[in-house]
Formats: sequence, C-alpha cells, structure tokens
Amino acid sequence: MSNATDKKYWKTLGEFSDDNALIKQKQNEFEEGVTDDFEPNQLNKISRRKFFAAMTAATALTATACSDYRDKGEIVPYNKRPEGLLPGVPNFYASNVNGVSVLVKTREGRPINIEGNPEHPIYKGKVDATTISSILNLYGPERLKEPIKKGRQTTWEIADNEIIQKLDEVSKTGKEIAVFSQRLNSPAAMGILNKFKAKYPTSNFYFYESIGCSSKVNSASKNYNVNALPLIDWSKVKIALAVESDFLSREENSIYNTEGFSSRRDIMKSNDFIRLYSVEGAMSLTGANADYRITLKPDLHLEFLLALLNEISLKRNFSKVSISNENKSLISKYSLNDFIKQNKLDSVKVFYLVKDLISNAGSSIVLAGDSLDENTNSAVNLLNEILGNSAVYSSASRVFAEDLIDENIFDKLILDMKSEKIGAFINFDSDPVYHFSFKKNFPSALKKVGLKISLVSEENDTSELCDFVLPIHHDLENWNLFQKYSNVIDLQQPVIEPIFRTRQKENILLTWINGTKFYSEKVYRDFIKNYFSMNVYPKANSAMNQENFWFSSLHDGFAEIQTDNKNPAFTQVKIEVPKHQSGKVVCQLEKSYFIGDGKYANNGWLQEIPHPISKVTWDNYASVSPSFAKQYSVEMGDLILVKSSGGEAELPVVIQPGISENTIVTEIGYGRKVIGEVGNNVGSNVFSLMDSDDNFVFEVEVKKTGKTYDLASTQEHHAIDDTRLKDIHKKRNIIREGTLDKYKKDHHFLHENEHNLIGITREHKYEGVKWAMAIDLNKCTSCGTCVSACNVENNIPVVGKDQVSRGREMHWIRIDRYYSGDAENPEISNQPMLCQHCDNAPCENVCPVNATNHSPDGLNQMAYNRCVGTRYCANNCPYKVRRFNFYNFRDNFSDAYYENELTSMLNNPEVTVRSRGVMEKCTFCVQRIMDGRSEAIKEGKEWNGQNMKTACQSACPAEAIVFGNVNDKNSEIYKYREHDLAYHVLEDLYVKPNVTYLAKLRNTITEES
Amino acid sequence: MEVLDYSKELSVIEGRPALREIDEIISKPLNTKPDKKYFIALLVTLSMVGIGAISLGLSFYYGTGLWGNNNPVGWGLPIVNFVFWVGIGHAGTLISAILFLLRQKWRNGIARFAEGMTIFAVMTAGIFPLIHVGRPWLAGYLFPYPNQHSIWVNFTSPLLWDVFAVSTYFTVSFIFWFVGLIPDFATLRDQTTNKIKKVIYSVTSLGWRHSNRHWQHYEMVYLILAGFATPLVLSVHTIVSFDFAVSIMPGWHTTIFPPYFVAGAVFSGFAMVQNVLIFIRKIFNYEHIITLDTLEKMNKVILFTSMLVGYAYGMEFFIAWYSGVQVEQFTFINRAFGPYSWAYWIMVSCNVLFPQLFWIKKIRRTIPFMFVIAVLVNVGMWFERFVITVTSLSRDYLPSSWAYYKPTLVDAGILIGSFGFFFTFILLFTKTMPVVSIAEVKAVAEGSQPSHGEH
Repeated sequence: MSNATDKKYWKTLGEFSDDNALIKQKQNEFEEGVTDDFEPNQLNKISRRKFFAAMTAATALTATACSDYRDKGEIVPYNKRPEGLLPGVPNFYASNVNGVSVLVKTREGRPINIEGNPEHPIYKGKVDATTISSILNLYGPERLKEPIKKGRQTTWEIADNEIIQKLDEVSKTGKEIAVFSQRLNSPAAMGILNKFKAKYPTSNFYFYESIGCSSKVNSASKNYNVNALPLIDWSKVKIALAVESDFLSREENSIYNTEGFSSRRDIMKSNDFIRLYSVEGAMSLTGANADYRITLKPDLHLEFLLALLNEISLKRNFSKVSISNENKSLISKYSLNDFIKQNKLDSVKVFYLVKDLISNAGSSIVLAGDSLDENTNSAVNLLNEILGNSAVYSSASRVFAEDLIDENIFDKLILDMKSEKIGAFINFDSDPVYHFSFKKNFPSALKKVGLKISLVSEENDTSELCDFVLPIHHDLENWNLFQKYSNVIDLQQPVIEPIFRTRQKENILLTWINGTKFYSEKVYRDFIKNYFSMNVYPKANSAMNQENFWFSSLHDGFAEIQTDNKNPAFTQVKIEVPKHQSGKVVCQLEKSYFIGDGKYANNGWLQEIPHPISKVTWDNYASVSPSFAKQYSVEMGDLILVKSSGGEAELPVVIQPGISENTIVTEIGYGRKVIGEVGNNVGSNVFSLMDSDDNFVFEVEVKKTGKTYDLASTQEHHAIDDTRLKDIHKKRNIIREGTLDKYKKDHHFLHENEHNLIGITREHKYEGVKWAMAIDLNKCTSCGTCVSACNVENNIPVVGKDQVSRGREMHWIRIDRYYSGDAENPEISNQPMLCQHCDNAPCENVCPVNATNHSPDGLNQMAYNRCVGTRYCANNCPYKVRRFNFYNFRDNFSDAYYENELTSMLNNPEVTVRSRGVMEKCTFCVQRIMDGRSEAIKEGKEWNGQNMKTACQSACPAEAIVFGNVNDKNSEIYKYREHDLAYHVLEDLYVKPNVTYLAKLRNTITEES
Repeated sequence: MEVLDYSKELSVIEGRPALREIDEIISKPLNTKPDKKYFIALLVTLSMVGIGAISLGLSFYYGTGLWGNNNPVGWGLPIVNFVFWVGIGHAGTLISAILFLLRQKWRNGIARFAEGMTIFAVMTAGIFPLIHVGRPWLAGYLFPYPNQHSIWVNFTSPLLWDVFAVSTYFTVSFIFWFVGLIPDFATLRDQTTNKIKKVIYSVTSLGWRHSNRHWQHYEMVYLILAGFATPLVLSVHTIVSFDFAVSIMPGWHTTIFPPYFVAGAVFSGFAMVQNVLIFIRKIFNYEHIITLDTLEKMNKVILFTSMLVGYAYGMEFFIAWYSGVQVEQFTFINRAFGPYSWAYWIMVSCNVLFPQLFWIKKIRRTIPFMFVIAVLVNVGMWFERFVITVTSLSRDYLPSSWAYYKPTLVDAGILIGSFGFFFTFILLFTKTMPVVSIAEVKAVAEGSQPSHGEH
C-alpha cells in the first residue's frame, strides 16, 4: 500500500501517463492568444468597491422608490414638556359642555372623553348621554373651518370689517338689527349682548326655545313672580305625580332629578321608597319608571287636574291655601268620579293617588310636563300649594334670565322683515328657520333682510340663507360663565386650542363692538374674569382673594354663591279651560331623547342610541296605541299622513303599548335638510305640524297612505299580547321583580323555590382580585347615559341606520326593555345588558383559536389580534352581548364619514380600534383597571379596585352601577352580590355570570285582605 | 306479477354483457370528444362558479357584512351550506365502504360515482368554514401549527374538531377512491392508443398489471380502507353536529344530534346520488349497469332514512317537552309556529311526508317520480340545516336580542356558486375518469364469478 500523500490523482489518461504536452498546457492557465487583448490599463476605472457601492445605492434607491412609504407626519417629542403633562397620562379639566358642568379628559392636549364634575353641587359628578357624546361634534368632519361670505371662504378680517361697516349703516338708517338666540344661561354673554345693544341701539334680541319649559316658567312668573323653577329636595318627597312630565330625562334638571329620584329608591340605604305616579298620554321614560301609570289623552290633563283639585280641596276638604272664588267655581265643575267614568280610567289607581297625595301632603310633589300649557301649569302649581308641597322645594332653583319671544312678536318680526324694516339679522348659534318651520313665510321674509349673519359651528337651515356664516368654537374651545342655578356659577374653559379658524361667538360680537384690531382669544376670557370679580366674587363669601378665587373656581369648574332662601309667595291666577273637541285625534310633540331639538342631529353616536322605550334609532315616527293601530288598520312601519292646521307630515307608525287612545306622539329634531351628512333627512320634520310656538298638543287628522317605511330598531317589536311570548322574560328569570311590601315582609322572597346548582367541572379558584359588577334595577331609569359613556370610552363606531336595521349595532352595553301585563297600559321592565364576564363563559370554550379567554382576575377577555371571526362565541353567548365587526364600520358608515384625521383624534388611545372581521364586547373597561393597578403599584398599595370606576358606572346619573373586587368582603360590590334581592340573569345555565342585578321592587300598595 | 326465485342470487347487472363490452361501454365517454350539450352544461356550471366567485370576491373585499348575518344569528347561509355539502358527501363513502363490508353487490355499479361525489361535495363543503370567518386571510390560525407566539389552537372547540374530522374524511375518501381507480386506470392504459393518455394512465395506474398478486393485495387494501372509512362516515357528521350540540343554545344543545345528523346526511347523500345517476345512466347508456333495481334499492334507503329523520324531528319535540325547560320548549314551538315556520314546514314535508310515497312500488320504480322526490329531499335537507342553524339563534334566551335573519343576494350567489363548483367537478369527472368501476362491475357481471349453481 502506498502512502496516502503519495497517492496519485488523475483526470485523464494523458495525465496518468504524464503526457508532456498536457503538462505544459496545464502550466498556462489560459490558452495561447486568449490573454493577448487583456490590458489592465484599459479596464474600466471603476474599482470593485466603487461598483459595489454604486450597485448597493441603486438597489436601495429602487427599493425605496418602489415601497409605499408614506410620510405619516411628524412625531415630535416634547422637547420642553408642558408643565403637568406626561405623555400617556390623561389630564382632567373642569369645564362646561352642553350646559353641564363636566370634567374633560384630555390626552396629549386633545379632549377624548367627558365625565361628570363630582364636586358640583347640582350635578354631583353626573352627566347625560347627550353631553358625553357631544364631544364628537368637536371633531365633526363638517365643522365650519373658515368664515364664509356668500358661499365662498374668506378671512375674519374681511368678514369683520365688512360686517361692522354694514352694521353701522343699518344702525344709522335706524333699521332694526334682529339677533336670534336660544337660551344662553349666561349672564356674561348677556353682558356682551347689552354692550352690543349699546353700540347698536336698534338691535333687538329674540330669545326662543324650540321646545322646553317656557310655559312652566311663564306660569311660575305669574304664580310666584319669579323667572325660576324650584329644584326638588328629593329626600323629602314620598309621593311624586308626573303629569305628562319626563322629569327623569328630557326636561330641565333631569340629571339632578335622576340622581335624587334614584337615591330615594336605594334599597341598600333604606326601604322607604318614593312612590311615583305618572299620568300621561305618551310613553315616557318617567312613565316607564312609575309605580302606577295612568294613561290619559294629552289634551285632558287640565281637566284631570281640575277633577283632582275638586276631589281633594272641595270634596275631601283638604286645602292649605284658600282657593279663589273664580277658580273654585271652575273646579267645582269637574268631578273626579265622572272624569274616571268618562275616560275609563282605572279608578283604583286614581283613588290610591288621591289618598297618597292627601296623606303625604307636604311631602309629595306634582310635576308638570314641558308640553303642558300655562293653564295646566297653573293648576299644577295650585295643587302643589293646596297640598303644601312647597315644603319639598330645595333652596336652589333653576333660574331663567331670558325673556322668550311669543307668537305675536314673531309674526310682527316677519311683517317687519317683509317691509324691509329689519336691516340685519344675526343668528347667534341657533336655527330659527328649522325651529320655526311652521312659519312658512319666515324664510322668504328673511331673504328680504339686507345683512344676514349666522354664527354657527355647522351649516344649518338658517345659516344656509345667510350672507355671512361665521364659524364658532365648540364648547370645549370656549371661555364662558353660566348661571343655570341660583346657587352656583359655572365656568367654562377651553381644553384645546381652537382646531380651526373658528371664534367664540361672544368674542365675535365683542370684535364688532370694539373693532377688529382688538380681537384676541383672551378678550372674552378677560371679560369673564372681570365679570366674575365684579359680580360673583362678592356673592361667594370666600376667604380667598379675588385672583385665587378665580383660579380655584376655574379649577373646580364652578363657584358657589349665596342666595336668599326665601320661598316666593304664591299668587293665584285664574285658570281657564280652553275649548277642545273630545274624541279627536291629538298629536303631541316631544323633544328627542338624545338629539334634543335637532341641535345634535348630526351626531352619529346620538342618532344611534336607541329610544329608551321603543328602541328605534335614526328616526322619528308616530307612536300610537295598539287600539289606534287596529282602528286605522296600520302596522309597524306603515306610513300615515298626519295633517294639522299648521301643516302635514308623513310618519311611519310604531305601535307603542301605553300610548293613550286617539293619540299620536312624535319627536322633534328630525327631518333636517341642512345639518350635515349624518343628520340630513333622518326622519321627518314635525315642527311643520305646529300651529303656534308654544302649543305642542294639537288636533290632527290621520290618513293611511298605503306606503311602508323601514324603521331601524334594536329590539324586535312583537305583539305584546302574543300568548307564546307573554311574560317570557319573567318565565325565563331574566327579569325578577317584586313589590316593596313583599320585600318588607320577607327579605328572602326572591330566592324561595330555588335549587342549588351543581357544576361537574373543577372550578377555578379566584385568588386575589376578582372583578364583578352589580346593577341596581331599582335605581336604573334606563336613560341611556351608560351607552353614551361606553361609546366614547371604548371607541365604539357608528354603524348607521341600515346596519342597525340588520341588527348590527355595536353598543357594548344596551338597555333591554320588556313589557308585561296589559297591552294598552303595560308594565315596563328595563335591564342594562352587557358582557356578564361569566366564570364558566360559554363563549370561551368554543373559540377555535383561543381568542377569547379568561384572566386570573375574572375578566372574559378578547384578543383582537388572534380573532379570526368565526362568530361561534357570539352564537354561544346566552346574553347576546358580543358584537361583530361585519365591516370596517368606520369605513363603511356613510363613505368613511368618520374615518379622517380629525375624527380619529377622538379615539381613546388606551382602547384598540377594532378592524373588520373581529368580535368585540364589553371589557369591564380593562384599560381603567390596568391604569388603576399601575397607579396602585406605583404607590405601593395593594390593588383592590380603589378609585376605579368603569365608564358606564361613572356616568350613570342614578348611581345604579357598582363595580369592584368581590373577593374583598368589605367592598360595596360584595354587599350587592350578597343582597337578598341579588340575582343573575339565566342563573340556571350555570354559566356563573359576574354581573349581579338587584331585583326591581315596585312600590305599589298591597291591600290587606 | 313476476315470481321471484329467492334461491337464486339475482344479477345486479342486466343482460349478460361480455366483459369486453363492459370495458368499452364504460370507457366510451373517455374516448369520445365531448359534444355540444356537454359544453353547454359546463358553461352553465362555470357561470354558476363565476357568480359564486364574484360574490365571494365582494365578501372578501367589503366584509361579511354583505351577508344576512346579524347579531343573534352569527351563522347563516355559509354554515348551512357547509353542513349541507358535508351531508351530501356522506352517501359516497357509505355506499362504497359500508355497503362493501355488508357485501351488497348492487353497490358496485354506483360506488365509483358516489365516491366521486363525496370528494367533490367535501371539497365544496371545505370552502365554507374558511370563507365564513370574518378575517379569511387569517383562517390559517384554525390549524395547529407551531408558531413563535406559542399560541395553540383551542382543543375544546368543536370547530377545531371539524377541521380535523373533515380533513381526515377527505383524505381517507380520496385514497379509497383512488385505490379503487387503479385497476380501471390500468384497463384504460391498455386500451388507449393516445400517447398522452397512455402516459397519464401509466402513472395513475401505478404499474398495475392485473396479476393475481396485485388483485390479492388490492382486495386486502380495499377491505382495510373500507373498514377504515366506515367509522369516518359516522364520525364526520357526528362531529359536525357537535358544532351545534356542544353549544348551550336551545335547539342546538341536544344529544340526539349525532345520529340524527348522520341519518340526515345519508338521506340527502343518497338523494343526490340518485338524482345525478338518473342522468348518467341515461346519457351514457348505463341502464343495464345502473339498473332500475339499484335505483329502487337506493329509494328504499331514502325511505328508511327519511323515517329516521322523521323520528328525530318528533323526538326533539318530545324531549323539549319532557325536559320541562321553558326555553327549550319555546324554541321548538317557535320552529313550528314562529316566524320561520315556513322553513320548518318545507323541511317536514320534503323530508318526512314526500318520501313516504316510496312505499308505493310503482313510484319507487318510476324515474320521474323518484327524481322529483329526491330533489325535494335535498331541498328539505337544506332547509333542515337552515332551520337548525337559524331558528335557534334568531330567538334564543333573551327576547331583547331576537332578530329575524334574511339572507342577501350575496348569500344566494355563494350558494349558487357552491352548486356550480360541485357540478363542474362532476362534469369534468364524467369525461376524465370512468364513472362506473370497470373492475367491480365486471366482478358482478353474470358468469364472471365461479359458480356452483345449475350444473
């Protein structure tokens, strides 16, 4: 064997035989002649390195050019951090939005949420749905951004100069300057207006209210000689009677009233409940919360009250004031017994009411509704005085500074406009063309005015007719000072720099008064500050100096002032009964629950919150009783033509159990022609039905049109008398109720005949914290504020009417409404429904990809990134609280109306914006839990849920929602869960939900047998 | 009336075709150019596929919102279609595997075609779970694959079981089908003079030489696969039924579902096979191979399973009443008398009432009658899945969230597309592969087997 190293390798036979020629050939790498042309000097000068560099650069450039890199704007860190601002940490500022004192949550300088101001003496940290959602208007895509002159953009300087010049001309010629405004509730703004009047003496202010408490105020001024309505000290009230009154929701002081009313139905504190009677023709939220509800046609309330007066004061001889003779003779004409017989009322209920009013005289209250006329209000005042109910008035009252215009003034104004006596028209953030739609000749008269100016934030029916449209600030960009209540002055401060070239409306007037040179954002603030020092500080009785008091009040958002606590004396006025034909169909107009008188018609969030009773969204309609529907043979969604002396409107029918017979109830605020993409042509304009500006109940004729209309409702409307569906919510233990008497006799009555449920699986032990919620159905009025608060907190998209009608609304919390009993006057049960965060969550085990699962602290969580959207979880949820993104709803809604840079600023950065195809649901505001936890960890405290509130909880004006750690035996939530009235919905399924409901107790009278 | 001689085994093939004849008649469609009618048929089915593709494209682009699904009704037509097509896919394996094990010779003429249908039906069904999700581009998450997030699928979810059940069923059915095709491919290979075909058949016949040994192995493999496929026939629809039965929805959460679903699947599968075979035997002149006797036997199976299904309908009502659970009781009364009663009564009449006509021999043996009844059976079975899926969801526990589900045009487009997809494959199948098993038919042709009779 040869050595390995010696081994010879060969490739060809020639090589093997060591062919010489081959060896020679092998020594030359290149064949002869091949290299002849090779000359290194002639090679390209670019070196290998350079070549690579060039190639790399070229590749990089190509790659860059081909990529879809977009400049996403600058992200600039705070080089100099503003004081008190930490990125990622929200700041709260007290301000005033929609007339409510609030705390505004801002993140990195942009407001993202509105919560109540807890220190405020009236609101006590509570808000309403409209106020919360109105934050969307700040970022509304259609906000006016620049001044507009005859449809073209202009600058403030040009506009101001021109306007001043023209106003001067008008004022010189002695023509009138008509300023239209709704209630301002601001003494400071009034000051500006007065200044304006001083400069332009021909100016006149026309304050109006589209629908509101003007008749109530008018009668108060006659009866008590004050322009104020007393607040009610609910702790003193035992019996309340609401006459067509929706004091819990749509009327003045509803936040205050809800808080006060619900605190009188708090079983955790006392079982001495307030008893609420409601006499109404409409089916209002207040009526739904009444212990006894009596349906009565809206045009009969005055007669009913007179009959009541007769029964109480004359028949039973109970009266704390003496009734004037003229009234006595009127009252004596009305006998309660006859009235009951004539109108087929439930005499038992009525006599309970009479008995209760008399035996609780001095601690009862009769409340009149906004739609009632002055005479009826006077009757209510008289009834309250007879019973001595002024004892329940609190020392504070809702004060009204503006004198509203009446019918005659308005008609005269129109004539003046026609005869060109009006030189200028200023629309001061209002919309008279829409609100006075029934004045058919107003728009044409308006056209005759030489100078028409609108100060509005979005175009509306009035601004469309104006020469100058001046964009104004949103409440969140404003400075202002309000007085709504006698004992408190509210301050409004801007929480964001003006986003566009808008100006504060008062400041615009100031500029016209002072001249364009004097404009600055600060001018009006200084004006307010000055007003505050002059007029508020002296009344506040503060130990602080003026400057400090101003800043401290600004910090708090309000300043309390001293008032004289005298209850004004009662003067009787003559009550007159207007003539009306009985048996005719009447139509009653009401304010919309959420979009008000149409001001918020362009707010998608508010359009989409379901009506508290009918659950219809995105529309107004004619609510009629089942018997009415039978009589006219109409069904849900049939269009009827409603004709009044003022005009006519086509309205779809909603069969609403509880409406009085021969009555149509419909809401104003809809059918707008110019307000924006969202609100245009939603519903129909029923202002046009009115015949005068303070008459909200009028006779109409009804005709079936044969056409139908699609209504988008979040709850199916099935016939209430369908035997298979009757009381199904009670049979299924969804709603469990009792009476207060039953509870007093036996605290444990709810849980009798219950059996123990046994699980067959090994159950998880929750150690440490475990989250749970409790909802007290005694306190919940179903006002919908929680829905609004959740929408804003959790970036809930607006889906639009077509999607709601397909059952795809995205609300994480909804309020279920169930009817029981009589179809003509049903009992209503409400129940806020949200993810129950079940211990044995049925949604979790069916998700094939583990996208929904349970946290150690008892939360049912969603991992959006993991979710593929099989929707199995939603199917298997017995509460149907999961919501699926059938589309990218931001993109889908009205051609991506809300998907733009401006509206995106509203998103809460702590909450993921969900994409299409993903399931979502209530998280128990996990972002707030985590926030609180990190705070507790930072402070070295044990995390127990202290100071943490979910969005729905903090907004709830009734304080019906409790949230916390159930493993903490001292916590409030633990007490709620262990309460005798506590139950879970669908308990028998043994999914072990973590939302506890306290059963509603109706404070009805049990006859001792 | 003809008197039957029960001592003698009846031939399942009519006439006494020579074996060579069988080869020729079965391979004839493969050797002739498709005619105009074929192309028209293909055009129709492809247009249907087109409609489906457009509908799906729109759904992918805009989102599942284009469908009728709403809040309580998370599952709509796609799931109904899925269950329907999986059900159709049941007859094939039942005919080829279970009837094979039971030595039912009449199956030989129809087994191949039924198996083919199984494959195509399962393929059609398989589309739906993937497209019905909200984010189809992430449908891969449904498969257990190792990933850097260390997220595993949820093995407690019936939907995941579906993924396994359906894919296993498809794989086994496919292998079973292919193994059965090997001898036929060899026959075709030997027959053909076309070079391309020769290459293809040579590859697909896997070197089959009709040798005794091959046959011995073949029979054993076929038997084992039949044994393997048999439990799958039962398991697939059992697991599909778990999608419903494992949930807590009233009307879904019932223990009767597995046998009920399997019976229903066999029912609809047989009806579909019968429907299509009626055309095949006519068009390709297979009347003596797929005989009227065979069709009658299928009709008997349809009649039997119809009664099973009918029993299940009745039993559901009984148990709902017997359980004493209000929600359960309501659900069933609601099915029969609620807003979807029209669907319920279509289902009952098509599935239980009309098939009873098969008690009459004349109807059982008359082609137009049996065809119409079988069509109705499939309509009824589609509605059965609709009733189960939709009625339970549309009115479940909380009356507040009840809503009516209405499919949209896009839903209908996808349904049409699925039929187009299925029948396109059927059409291609008839022109590319022997739709009747040459080898198996030969095996049951009279005189092909050693016989002890009549010596």
